Amino acid sequence: MVVENEVLPYLQWLWRGDGASFVDGKGALVQFAIIALTIFVLGLVGGFLVALVRQGPVRAGEITYRTLVGGFGDLFRLSFRRIAALASLAIKESLRRRVWVALVVFAMILLFASWYLGVNNREPARLYLSFVTAATSYLMLLLSLVLAAFSLPTDIKNKTLYTVTTKPVRSGDIVLGRILGFTVLGTALLAIMAAASWFFVNGALAHTHTVDTRSLEAIRGADGETIGKEGETSRDAFHTHPFSVDAEGYGFTDQVSEHSHALTADGDAIVVGPAEGYLRARVPLRGKISFLNPQGVPVAKGISVGNEWSYRSFIQGSTQAAAVWTFDGVNESTLMEYEDGSKYLPVAAIVRVYRSYKGIIEQAIQGSIQLRNPETGVKSTLRVFPAKDFAIDSFEFANEQTDTDQNDITILDDLVTEDGRIEVIIQCLDRGQYFGFAQADCFIRLPEGSPLWNFVKGFLSIWMQMVIVIAVAVMMSTFLSGPIAMVTAITFIVLGFFRTFFLQIALGESYGGGPVESLVRLVTQMNVMSPFERTPSVDAMKAIDGVLKGAMRAVSNVLPDFSTYLDRVRYVAEGFSIPTDAVLHDLTVSLAYVVGMAIVGYFCLRTREVAKS
Amino acid sequence: MSGTSPGTAVIETRALSKVYRDFWGRQKVRALKALDLEVYQGEIFGLLGPNGSGKSTTIKLLLGLLFPTDGQALVFGKEATDVSKNERIGYLPEESYLYKFLNAEETLDFYGRLFDIPAEVRKERIEKLLKLVGIDRARKRQLREYSKGMTRRIGLAQALINDPELILLDEPTSGLDPIGTREMKDMILQLRDQGKTVVMCSHLLADVQDVCDRIAILHQGELKELGRVDSLLTVEDVTQVRARNLSDDCKNELRDVIQRHGGDLLEMDNPTTTLEDLFLSIVRDSEERPGRRVVGPQSTAGGDTPAPPATAN
Repeated sequence: MVVENEVLPYLQWLWRGDGASFVDGKGALVQFAIIALTIFVLGLVGGFLVALVRQGPVRAGEITYRTLVGGFGDLFRLSFRRIAALASLAIKESLRRRVWVALVVFAMILLFASWYLGVNNREPARLYLSFVTAATSYLMLLLSLVLAAFSLPTDIKNKTLYTVTTKPVRSGDIVLGRILGFTVLGTALLAIMAAASWFFVNGALAHTHTVDTRSLEAIRGADGETIGKEGETSRDAFHTHPFSVDAEGYGFTDQVSEHSHALTADGDAIVVGPAEGYLRARVPLRGKISFLNPQGVPVAKGISVGNEWSYRSFIQGSTQAAAVWTFDGVNESTLMEYEDGSKYLPVAAIVRVYRSYKGIIEQAIQGSIQLRNPETGVKSTLRVFPAKDFAIDSFEFANEQTDTDQNDITILDDLVTEDGRIEVIIQCLDRGQYFGFAQADCFIRLPEGSPLWNFVKGFLSIWMQMVIVIAVAVMMSTFLSGPIAMVTAITFIVLGFFRTFFLQIALGESYGGGPVESLVRLVTQMNVMSPFERTPSVDAMKAIDGVLKGAMRAVSNVLPDFSTYLDRVRYVAEGFSIPTDAVLHDLTVSLAYVVGMAIVGYFCLRTREVAKS
Repeated sequence: MSGTSPGTAVIETRALSKVYRDFWGRQKVRALKALDLEVYQGEIFGLLGPNGSGKSTTIKLLLGLLFPTDGQALVFGKEATDVSKNERIGYLPEESYLYKFLNAEETLDFYGRLFDIPAEVRKERIEKLLKLVGIDRARKRQLREYSKGMTRRIGLAQALINDPELILLDEPTSGLDPIGTREMKDMILQLRDQGKTVVMCSHLLADVQDVCDRIAILHQGELKELGRVDSLLTVEDVTQVRARNLSDDCKNELRDVIQRHGGDLLEMDNPTTTLEDLFLSIVRDSEERPGRRVVGPQSTAGGDTPAPPATAN
């Protein structure tokens, strides 16, 4: 549910990755250099071999040398003026081909979307945000793919490229001009779509209620005097909110469907304000999870409740089993402030409830949460809560606490270690029931970011995907015809979306073997777990698979991991702020693709005879 | 054969060859065989030959649109594949391959921006060229609406946007009406007069004969003839005398003189004008005096076409 892939600090990712130092070679920079060098050497050797077959060794050597020297010389003679001219040509071409129809299509999608997207959903913001980001993403990817893949081949087919290449234009100008032109156009379209999406989501979620006056009841204090009122709002947008207000008539409704409303007094009446809190940009401070088994012994994982590949593992109720998160870097600034100046530690948790027996279904399973100092073992008193299955629950721990022996303690002095660590322990209290957790399910809430800015960052992820697609499609179009370039680019992108699976096959980590073995199993309807009997044909099959897997491993090195960009968009839909490190990381990867594809595209176009039909 | 021109060599080809191959590298056709050629500064050079003779291939090799299989093509002393030579080159392709979605002004602006020309100069040059090629009034129309003749004109304008020293014209008069053809030929001559070098290839022999200083005739990828047009076309053993207003007595006297000196009189007749001249004179006449033209015995000679001079062979 929550996006939890760990995002390394930008410089660490760039320099050493998850290795200990630069020399471990796990940094993005080293990886990029290795891949670039490999492609360069392969291109050089491949080009020489082709020339060798066609022209003989001396001429092949001469051509290779000239391509290399002239090519790198040309890279430094790129002209922004020419690139800009070619970019504006690409934009004009697209506009005169009525590219704006995409906006009409998008508008139609939004117009009809509200018919099908139910606001009675438990998480309407997530639904709407997922919808608009997915619609924009697929529309823009398709559009940029078609534009970029067909532009250059059409120029070559119509021979309009003759009049361009006979001007002092370098192949690099042509490739970069195309990439820049389509990127500028795509950016403008995407910006319009983003603005429309923002207003659409906000408009669709906007609603208010009135107070159901029949439900109003006075809240009385110990002395019997009225200290406020409680009641329910009217049923609008498929839900009602219970609420309570103070004696003046001010307060907030309870949170339902991830939002609440402010309540204000207007004379004797209580006025319900607009919906608040749908769009969030939570900034989590993540911890490391560990488990205690029913006997209270630390274990790596909890209990499996049946699905062996489950993301979460479970703890048994009414035992010593617990999920324990250890957070680093907790200090005074981590704590938030109430209006009266007192401080509190905001903790959020998602509980996945697994009932081994039905029990009273209307009654929530009870859990407990407490804080502990990992060094001294001092714990705050147990706080019992009803588990909201699969929803983010917030817990505010005031700085002033009492420990399990009822001594007064404070979080900062007694529960946080000197190096800033604190533990959060969650247990299930009902016998025979289970709570399931993954590492990302509990976090300390840092001050939230701006939802609008987070929304922009989400669309920035779509923009980065678009830029990569344009760069890949333009590169393909320098040596392939339009339809073939598009199909190849689509294959590249689809593989990019399933890169992890692709890599699993390449590394032999997936069930069912390599491509040929999988095909044999499919055709013969053979179970993926059943082993083959060793025969010469099976040996041959495995040998071919070995070669194919090697090729797949090589290809996987240059495949863009589009699932990462999907993850970023999920951050927005799930109300989490996209980390700045992640944005920088993605921008760098996109830039690397643009640079890489532009260089490959440049050499492909430079070595291509434009006038050869 | 070719050393008569005073200028320095702008184009040099040395054993330039081109073999077209299929995807697998197998030879499909040998389009050009060891072409040795030099084109000098300030001349109009014509490449002649039937379809498939290698003229377009030669032009494309000179422009770097194709790579030579063997030999060398040098333009301004640089390899033809060197992009920097294009700063000094203008090229009008066979079909004016231009972007149909642009209008004339945008077209010239786009091509102008590919050169290092200051914006003001570019703007001035666009104005001048639009007037020169006669499409000033259609400057805002998209090229998709242009006739073939207009497309050739804007094609020529884009070839001249950088004020090139060398202009390569592939079938420059194809698709043009006789007036356009004449104007194109006049422009080519003007360019030569400005000191520019023009290389053109054409099927229309009359056009080549009209404007070219030197020609090369290619056939099946091989150079068959190269030299000055006037010397190539001179018939050594025939003398042509052209005179106006000769009386019959004078003509008879001339016949006698030729006979006395042992010559063979091949022809003494009133020459006919060319259809091109006739057409142009009718059009000019029509422009000067709009209205229905009277066609009668008195006008069959071509209106105010000057009377053709008497020709004696």
